Amino acid sequence: MTASQDIYPQTPNLAHDVDQLERSWRHPRGIFGWFSYTTHQAIGMRYIITAFIMLLAGGVEALLMRTQLMHANNGFLSADRYNELFTTHGTTMMFLFAVPMMEGMAIYLVPLMCGTRNVAFPRLNAFGYWIFVVGVLFLYWGVFTNAAPDMGWFAYPPLSGPQFTPGKRTDYWAQMITFTEVSALCVASELIVTISKMRAPGMSLNRMPLYVWSILTQSFMVIFAMPAIVLASSYLLSDRTVATHFVNPAEGGDPLLYQHIFWFFGHPEVYIIFIPALGFVSAIVVAHARREIVGYTAMVLSQIANGFIAFGLWVHHMFATDLPQIGAAYFTASSMMIAITSGVQIFCWIATLWSGRPRLTTALHFVYGFIAIFVLGGLSGVVLASIPLDLQVHDTFFVVAHFHYVLIGGAVFPLFGAFYHWFPKMTGRMMNERLGRLNFWVLFIGFNLTFFPMHILGLKGMPRRVYTYSPEMGWDQLNFLATVGAWVIAVGGLLFIANVLWSRKKGAIAGNNPWDADSLEWAAASPPPNYNFEYLPAVTSRYPLWVPGADRTFVTGTRSDRREVLVTTLMDAEPHHRYILPGPSIWPLVAGICVSIGFVGSVFNAWYVTWGAIISGLALIAWFWPKRPLEPADE
Amino acid sequence: MSEVRTLDVSGLKQYEISNQAPLWWGQLMIVFIEGTMFAILIAAYFYTRLRMDVWPPPGDQYPHLLLPSVALIPLVLSCLGTYWAGDSAKKNDRAGMLGGLGLNLVLAGIALAMRIVEWHSLNFNWMTDIQGSYVWAFLGLHTFDYIGDLVFTAVLFVLIAIGRYGPKQRQGVYVDSVVWYFLVAIWIPIYVVIYWGPVIVGTQQ
Amino acid sequence: MKNNTRQIFSTFAGVLGVACLSLLISCAGHQQSAVDPAGPQSGRIDTLWWSFFWLLGAIFVIVMVLTLMTLGRRHRGFEQEPLEATHKPSEETDSRLRRIIAGATVTTVVILFVLIVASVGTGKANSELQNKKNPLTIQVTGNQWWWQLEYMNSDPTKILVTANEMHIPVGRPVQIRGISNDVIHSFWVPNLNGKRDLIPSHVTTQWMEADHPGVFRGQCAEFCGLQHAHMAIWVIAEPEDKFDAWMRAQLQPAAGPSTPELQRGRQVFMNNACVYCHEIQGTTAAGQNGPDLTHFGSRRGIAANTVPNTAGNLAGWILDPQSLKPGNHMATIALNSTDLQPLVEYLESLK
Repeated sequence: MTASQDIYPQTPNLAHDVDQLERSWRHPRGIFGWFSYTTHQAIGMRYIITAFIMLLAGGVEALLMRTQLMHANNGFLSADRYNELFTTHGTTMMFLFAVPMMEGMAIYLVPLMCGTRNVAFPRLNAFGYWIFVVGVLFLYWGVFTNAAPDMGWFAYPPLSGPQFTPGKRTDYWAQMITFTEVSALCVASELIVTISKMRAPGMSLNRMPLYVWSILTQSFMVIFAMPAIVLASSYLLSDRTVATHFVNPAEGGDPLLYQHIFWFFGHPEVYIIFIPALGFVSAIVVAHARREIVGYTAMVLSQIANGFIAFGLWVHHMFATDLPQIGAAYFTASSMMIAITSGVQIFCWIATLWSGRPRLTTALHFVYGFIAIFVLGGLSGVVLASIPLDLQVHDTFFVVAHFHYVLIGGAVFPLFGAFYHWFPKMTGRMMNERLGRLNFWVLFIGFNLTFFPMHILGLKGMPRRVYTYSPEMGWDQLNFLATVGAWVIAVGGLLFIANVLWSRKKGAIAGNNPWDADSLEWAAASPPPNYNFEYLPAVTSRYPLWVPGADRTFVTGTRSDRREVLVTTLMDAEPHHRYILPGPSIWPLVAGICVSIGFVGSVFNAWYVTWGAIISGLALIAWFWPKRPLEPADE
Repeated sequence: MSEVRTLDVSGLKQYEISNQAPLWWGQLMIVFIEGTMFAILIAAYFYTRLRMDVWPPPGDQYPHLLLPSVALIPLVLSCLGTYWAGDSAKKNDRAGMLGGLGLNLVLAGIALAMRIVEWHSLNFNWMTDIQGSYVWAFLGLHTFDYIGDLVFTAVLFVLIAIGRYGPKQRQGVYVDSVVWYFLVAIWIPIYVVIYWGPVIVGTQQ
Repeated sequence: MKNNTRQIFSTFAGVLGVACLSLLISCAGHQQSAVDPAGPQSGRIDTLWWSFFWLLGAIFVIVMVLTLMTLGRRHRGFEQEPLEATHKPSEETDSRLRRIIAGATVTTVVILFVLIVASVGTGKANSELQNKKNPLTIQVTGNQWWWQLEYMNSDPTKILVTANEMHIPVGRPVQIRGISNDVIHSFWVPNLNGKRDLIPSHVTTQWMEADHPGVFRGQCAEFCGLQHAHMAIWVIAEPEDKFDAWMRAQLQPAAGPSTPELQRGRQVFMNNACVYCHEIQGTTAAGQNGPDLTHFGSRRGIAANTVPNTAGNLAGWILDPQSLKPGNHMATIALNSTDLQPLVEYLESLK
């Protein structure tokens, strides 16, 4: 079970150390044990699988919607059902698939890429996952009890307020947001600390892999954007449950304030989804073009700039609300200028592919697909940034086309590329390349067939969020084409699942580094043991595994009889102190349940905030209650 | 493979009680999150004020200024207790930690009691009108965090008093200061907004 | 590798083909189309759109060609440098690539700047309309799920209240003053101009002008609840004299019933719940919750233009509004056929 011996120091204690690591990092047994796991690989996989199921759920919702819109005056779905579907589709994709999936991949990959054994706060990691799962269950409990939200995924008041949407639907939605953003904030916090403080010695900031940079940028964005949606959803929830007046126009509340606060979160949210995908692309391009990235500094600065500028764009979602012209023009400029930071990255990738030795694996197919689709989406975004044009195509299918091009092209295609690229690491087997290429083409063709016609539909006047349309509008053929495309995408999804299932059993054994890639995760075994590396690596290069084996350095002196890692300094990653990580614990689950009782209950009765706080407090005290030994054994 | 390079870190400490500890950075993240939330809430308060013709809305009394202003004193002074406790934690000085945490608890408790008394004198609640919603949102959110941190501090006090502590708990004492300083510091602008807002940006009577 | 490249190029061509096909399919039908302008503002937007389209389209093709060329074995001007050992090419290649990227970035900045200027310029030109003389001001109130229209006038007796169908004079600027009675709606007539949201507790303003006569369809463009899909508006642009005639006719109170059948119809209206929501000027019906029906017979559509205004459709609507527009706020009134028939005739007579 050890990694290939040729790149590890053959110290006299290797077998003993490995044996001790096996014991101290062993998973606890049984069901109770399963609920106590705190290793990042396990929790990362849980996020990935749960988010993938949400992708399938959102996909089914989309297929139902497309089937309804297949031709004019279709009676397949009622207005109510359709409105529930588009709301649930958007909500599921944005909150329950996209962000958690990116987080799950990061939780899995970041400690490996940084050369450490776990994230900085393993129990917080577990807690964040349980909170996310409750969010999923809470929303879908509403869906399956005929209380699905139906006011659109951004839930504008007054439509979403107590007067126009009575009942519990919107409350479930608003509180689900609370669950998912608490979870996201937990993950972002721990990833920032992990990346800042637990990198391998020698991995100074300018030697960090671009994927790790993307997660650092994205995590900071989560920290500063999520509080806004906390507020917006709380405004809505408290207006609906305890009669506050935050967005009640009759008392001075302003529906536009909600929009400002919502989109202050909402715009960075799409970059929160998209920036890690750019990290995937960099990792895949470097590994599969088999050369160092062109313009590393430009890439890092562009990503960070992307993160900053994304906070200055939000008003472009509100151009139709009669804002002062000069102020609005600023947002046109910023919305167009962000194309530069994305553009620089595209140019760097093209240059890397051009001057490298690209190997057309399935992962690289998805990168090429990403470039095609995302660039087109970005260009339609430039159209939307222009106010006169936006005033025509805002809230039409043109916008639907745009955001699917940038989100599917910009995030989902790189994600599938990432699956094909890292599946060998995660499972120890290669995915089937032929099936993979077929998978790519079906998805690529299906995607364009579905969403390209929507640009035209928008220009021809078809608004979004309409459950039907009349035959005189002339929208039939394009809608039909789009529906056909949606079913093709569904086939593509099934092909992927088939590939995963087949490859797990029958795929070629991968070995540590089947791609001969550069970053540290490829030094661990496939799949990695719970402790990742027998000896923690130290690095002297931006591309650690492309340094000849004899020149590599390893860390000795950390204890293997307990879960211990190394903390290094922020800028230059010099070793600073050793850090003992907690082992398995049931308290994250217990605390998660207590917090959930508080959040879920408060939707029905505001006193649950207090009860929930009390029991959560007790659970946290138990979580942090000092365990023996109080003083760690010294060397 | 003839030569293997190793980097021996066995001489490094196993506990770090300073701002180099990952836990300290974790607390910093909490500060960023809560700070952003309060900042947006403050901005929203002024946005709302700009849209209203009369502020505070008719019927809302101006909050009394004396008690909340006086309450600032024990609140700010409680930071001294936090500082003392953190410093003692570094030096593993048990008496100092107990003294510091105890001082913090007493002074913060006094400030909290004064705040609760002040609440009862407000003639509006969150349902009354939009100003009420904002004032109570500030009070509710800040006090919730405040009580949370007080409980955390109290638990630490108890653990140290009964002797059930090690370097990890001392680290807890030290990093707790980050959040406490933040809670005190963020209260200043919130206090100004709630209590001086009607005076500074209100419609003149 | 060669086969793969060919496959990729041919699929790229295929995708372009699909795009062209859909463009061709779309050529038919210009109702409610942003690219079929009938006014100076939508005209400028249309010009701006096509400029963006060709420029950005060209950029897309260039970027795609460069991307696909990375797959070709022979790079023009570069030899395939040995990368196996070091994973990086020579310093000259790298610095040459960096220069190219810098150049591409500068070009991007310049292009975006031009687009920003063009956009701001178009926006400014479009807003110049409000400086023209003699505007017609119409207050549009969004309701779930219909449009109330009030033609403003300093003389209160000349304020026209109607619903769901707007007539405007050709060549004259029209100011739309937008408010909402309930949730956020959006007033959008693409042939004439971009959209403007109608937001409760706000008043939004939009200007438009038709430069030739025509019948233009608009639709609510902000999700406003269950029947958002069925909230359309007709804007009919007419020459000034025709428009004046229309205004004069619309300002008259409702035509009195001229036959016993019609009288019977009016009686049915007055005796039922209709009067709680609808107003007919010149009668005692003065309900304000629903559309004004004074000249209902002159309108082209029913239920915010969900169906055309024919006797058959009207009968079906009155008998069971929920089947046509489920969830809408019109009450279902039990009427037998002896009441329904005259009622329908009466309403259709209100020209």
